[in-house]
Amino acid sequence: MAIVTISTSNSRPPPINEATLIGWMRMHLFSSPLNSILTILTTYIIYLTVSGVWVWGVVDAIWIADTRRECFDINISGACWAGVSAWMENIFYGRYPREEIWRIDFGLFLLFLWMAPLWMPRVRGKVIIGMTTVFLYPFLAGYLFSGGDKGIFMSVMVSAAIVGIIANTLNATLGVLADRSLSNFVNNKLGFGNAPEEKQQKVFLIFLAVCFVLAYIWQSGWQAEIVSWTKWGGLFLTLVISGIGIASALPGGIILAMGRRSKLPVIRVLSTAFIELFRSVPLITVLFMATTMFPLFMPEGVVLNKLVQVIIAVCLFNACYMAETVRAGLQAIPKGQAEGAHTIGLGYWGTMGLIVMPQALKHMIPNIVGSFMGLLKDTTLVSIIGLFDILGMLRSISRDTPWLGLHKEPLVFGAMLFFIICFAMSKYSRHLEAKLSTGHKV
Amino acid sequence: MSDTQNQNNRSQLKSAISSEVMIDLNKVNKWYGDFHVLKDIDLIVHKGERIVVCGPSGSGKSTLIRCINHLEEHQEGTIVVDGITLDKNLKNIDHIRTEVGMVFQSFNLFPHLSILENLTLGPVWVRKKPKAEAVETAMMYLERVKIPEQADKFPGQLSGGQQQRVAIARSLCMNPKIMLFDEPTSALDPEMIKEVLDVMVELAETGMTMIVVTHEMGFAKTIADRVIFMDEGDIVEENEPNAFFDNPQHERTKLFLSQIL
Ligand SMILES: Nc1ncnc2c1ncn2[C@@H]1O[C@H](COP(=O)(O)OP(=O)(O)OP(=O)(O)O)[C@@H](O)[C@H]1O
Ligand SMILES: [Mg+2]
Repeated sequence: MAIVTISTSNSRPPPINEATLIGWMRMHLFSSPLNSILTILTTYIIYLTVSGVWVWGVVDAIWIADTRRECFDINISGACWAGVSAWMENIFYGRYPREEIWRIDFGLFLLFLWMAPLWMPRVRGKVIIGMTTVFLYPFLAGYLFSGGDKGIFMSVMVSAAIVGIIANTLNATLGVLADRSLSNFVNNKLGFGNAPEEKQQKVFLIFLAVCFVLAYIWQSGWQAEIVSWTKWGGLFLTLVISGIGIASALPGGIILAMGRRSKLPVIRVLSTAFIELFRSVPLITVLFMATTMFPLFMPEGVVLNKLVQVIIAVCLFNACYMAETVRAGLQAIPKGQAEGAHTIGLGYWGTMGLIVMPQALKHMIPNIVGSFMGLLKDTTLVSIIGLFDILGMLRSISRDTPWLGLHKEPLVFGAMLFFIICFAMSKYSRHLEAKLSTGHKV
Repeated sequence: MSDTQNQNNRSQLKSAISSEVMIDLNKVNKWYGDFHVLKDIDLIVHKGERIVVCGPSGSGKSTLIRCINHLEEHQEGTIVVDGITLDKNLKNIDHIRTEVGMVFQSFNLFPHLSILENLTLGPVWVRKKPKAEAVETAMMYLERVKIPEQADKFPGQLSGGQQQRVAIARSLCMNPKIMLFDEPTSALDPEMIKEVLDVMVELAETGMTMIVVTHEMGFAKTIADRVIFMDEGDIVEENEPNAFFDNPQHERTKLFLSQIL
């Protein structure tokens, strides 16, 4: 006869030490007399700092005033947030004409609209959505922000982007509500529901082309008012520069990293030289070079604006750093993966794009997001070469007559803004990592 | 079918070797730096023929079969696979790779894709089959290797034996004419070895042309039409399995067999 246990063993809570707050504190903070003294001392220092900041920044702070003088009259030892709030619009939008600010907000809204489907369940074609965000949206936003005469190229890109945003939104709506793609929907409506996949793709492309023509005709009917780049500034400018930098760093980095690993000597040497050149020079030097030397190499008559030069410099610089990050990621993928891909007949591009790169990118998420955060913060260097990005704006508050000498508060405010943005990025990267770890996914 | 019957059938496993030549190696030489790995290798494999390659570690077995689908490049001699000569022409190489399946010791499944995606990737992207058809074929092969219920899992969640069977199914989904196996069971625990070998025996029964590097001598006796013994980059001895195991000619073969049997 076998022995069968009838009752299951009851599970018990873990030993008391680690689980309760008191237990935890006893183990980690007060395990010995010396540790206890250190803990008390540290707590006291933290208390002093935090309470000081709290009193200065909140308790004694002045929120409403018209000048710095007035702040002093109310309470000389408190923070004068009134100055920051009076400059709030400048901090966010720079000197962008006040009646045109809606364009910036609208541009931001479009970005949100464009990217939101990436996080929605059941939406089809996320790779295409991601690609169009990088390759179409910037043109639409660029025109929206700067306005003026479009020219042929901009007209084409703006029309394409308009088709893109509309198709994207419809596709997302259909995906969420009906679990189908826009292509599928269009084909059904036009009576090609049962046609083979390739035919359906063609029909959908023709549909998009027709939409493009309509969009082209429509957009040629209006023009946004021109806003010179010199008026761009504040957090807006910082986000434009770092946004373009971020969007181009990854594709650029991937291309350069693949170049550096290429079997063709010419490509390999060129990529390596390019990467090493940019990596060995500080960003601020690259920025100065871009604004002062770049124009010298340009043919007579070509006038580049400073903003474009800065953006190009930031993009190249960051692509080179990203290239090394990507290369490290590629090296971490075992050779067997590429061999496995080769044996099912995938060539170089298929192997890279479907097998090696996705895995490498997944491993690199923490590093990539780290570089993005670095990029965002480094962008403040452009204030040195005379662009009024967020740092430039924050510092000019102290030169404004009513707020003369107000240094501390704007910078604290700026630090908080950066902290919020970077912290959010960091949190999101953790989330993404957890989501993509297929090893444990069921 | 009972197990004993099965065993009987296997020992009688007859292959239908045709006169059509699938693989033709002629005076193939390869060096790693100064190290001469393959020395004047001549080998002809006919359609439907099943060849087992054995030999001591470092004798060049892996290198030999990896040359056949050009994972390694040979420096001298000619390799003709399915009528196509392997040279620098990338088109030829890509074409041959679609006709030659390969199974590795370390599985080399794609960890970021589900089992089903691992199987449909080649047919969809290389053979340009419609997705639905590729899924159907994939499921059929998963049934054949007896793990259809794992289709939606990821490779990291499967046992070694299951992963290796998926790897075999992945190659079969490309509908290859030749299958190469490089020590497919060396990384597995004993009870998993059997499940993989069973799948390979069934594959042999379908008339697939196979080259298998393995030290599973029982398996070799069951399926092989020819056993090849390699040492230091040479094909030292080559014979049909019974003669090879019972009556090895060469001293080195005798030594090797005495060590592993
Ligand atoms: N990439 C390489 N560079 C240099 N030498 C190599 C390389 N790959 C293999 N070799 C050498 O070539 C010889 C043959 O290797 P191969 O992998 O073909 O042996 P094998 O017969 O498959 O051995 P095993 O049974 O251990 O798998 C070995 O001595 C090995 O050290
Ligand atoms: Mg080997």
